[in-house]
Amino acid sequence: MSVVRKFSGSRVLVWLVLVVGGVLSLFPFFWMVIGTTLNPNDVIRGIIVPGPELFLNWAKATKNYNLPLFFLNSLKIALPTVFFGVIVNGLAAFGFEKFRSKSREKIFGILLLTLIIPQIAVVIPMFKLFSFFGLLNTHAAIILPSIMSVFIIFFMRQNFKMFPTEIMEAARVDGTSEFGIFVRIVSPSMKATFASAAIYMFIAQWNAYLWPLMTILTDAKKTLPIAMSSMMYAYTIEYGALMIIVCISIMPVLLLFLTMQKQFVAGLLGSVK
Amino acid sequence: MNKKGSYYRYLNRFGWFCVAPAMVFYSLFMLYPILSSLYYVTRRWRGMSNTFVGLGNFARMARDQIFQQAIGHNFAFMFVQIPLMVFLALILAVILNQGIRRMRGTFRVIFFLPCVTSLVAYSVLFRILLQNNGLLNNIMLNAHLLAEPIGWLNDPFWAKVTIILALTWRWTGYNMVFFLVGLQSIDTEIYEAAEVDGASKRRQFFRITLPLLLPVILFSAVTSTNGTMQLFDEPNILTNQGNPANATMTAALYIYRQAFVVNSDFGYATAMSYVVVLISGIFAFVQMRLLGDRGEK
Repeated sequence: MSVVRKFSGSRVLVWLVLVVGGVLSLFPFFWMVIGTTLNPNDVIRGIIVPGPELFLNWAKATKNYNLPLFFLNSLKIALPTVFFGVIVNGLAAFGFEKFRSKSREKIFGILLLTLIIPQIAVVIPMFKLFSFFGLLNTHAAIILPSIMSVFIIFFMRQNFKMFPTEIMEAARVDGTSEFGIFVRIVSPSMKATFASAAIYMFIAQWNAYLWPLMTILTDAKKTLPIAMSSMMYAYTIEYGALMIIVCISIMPVLLLFLTMQKQFVAGLLGSVK
Repeated sequence: MNKKGSYYRYLNRFGWFCVAPAMVFYSLFMLYPILSSLYYVTRRWRGMSNTFVGLGNFARMARDQIFQQAIGHNFAFMFVQIPLMVFLALILAVILNQGIRRMRGTFRVIFFLPCVTSLVAYSVLFRILLQNNGLLNNIMLNAHLLAEPIGWLNDPFWAKVTIILALTWRWTGYNMVFFLVGLQSIDTEIYEAAEVDGASKRRQFFRITLPLLLPVILFSAVTSTNGTMQLFDEPNILTNQGNPANATMTAALYIYRQAFVVNSDFGYATAMSYVVVLISGIFAFVQMRLLGDRGEK
């Protein structure tokens, strides 16, 4: 009898932890959606029943704050970063892993070593570089430095290890060029790796804040994070419109997560292996 | 022989061809900044012009109390928030792994969800929720848990608590997933053997689960330490530029402000960033040694 009681007692505790944790995890999301329907005062007061101002807030977000432009800007920066990033990093990972040489291994070691250098230490000289070339306040300034990622090269290299070299040898015998092997044989069978890398790079760029904050100077170039952050510093804050922008900024990442959970998590956990 | 040699040269050339584009980007946006910082670090900007000050920037740092406090805040966040988060993540992971039979997948998704928010977006959300007359204070006042509202954003102590709570909300599920992967790789036969030997659940946890999970825990500590050392988005947005009275100022935020907001002293900012690199390097080295000893496969 006492065994059963003790057993169910811990059962209750377990579910209590799960439910409380779950509510805490989800509540900000729930409240963010409610917030899109409230007037600014009610957002601040934290009313948790939907209000009538969704369409008004939407109108403000799209007209006063140019939400579509910010969204488009974020997309115009994130997609090229992913496109070029997957090619450049994928090719580099392939080169490092399948064509090993002493000097390239040394270079790879240096790459890994510089992985510990925090972004804040790199962005200041980089700012000078871009200002020298007159590239401040351009989207190129945000795209170019994000294409190469040591972390992504490392992640992809770990995955390329699993690709059997025998298949490459067989393709060589068949007369396929090395580049053809990469494009037509290795890449298609490593789709999941590429997907994980792409998702990771997309999210990193979509959410990027520090470097865009330094380089973006005008409203017309703002990305969603920069737009949100400058709204917070405005004299009067349109909280309802802000909540809509917050929702829209989270949406693509949320959709990626819910539709491609496996690759999403693999990308985030990439370095665990 | 000759033919084979030229074939290897061909493969080697192809290897260089593969890594070349990445190397170009790396040289421009990593090596060049590192090298040019050696110049900036010795100079001091006044307006548009700059002068050579040698190690003067480092001497200035030794007198700069706000910078020292900022580094202290980074450490404080690290030493309070990371253990708290690791503890919570561990509990959730163990529960999801062996505590329940149903709805595992659902709860894993729910706990992971905070990670899909951008740092800016969740900082905005939390800043609104934690206003003096905001939702959290309202709920706690109505439930009579508080007599007067807590200054989550404008009391020096509570503002730090706010950063810690926010970080914990954002990252616990992320670390939990690491731990779940680690737990699933532990062979269940070990537990069966322990069961046969009459080891209690608690003993099994401390003697089997925890030691086997240690490399993963260390790994997530390394990642979190690195992240906390770079803390920027949260103090800039959630607690409004390191406020109140610099109580949540972090090193990265202070460097950014010295270079772009308060002054445009790129030399001083570079010198301070050297200190951050040094600290990150020391942490990485120590943790690498710890991981190296225990984490070999």
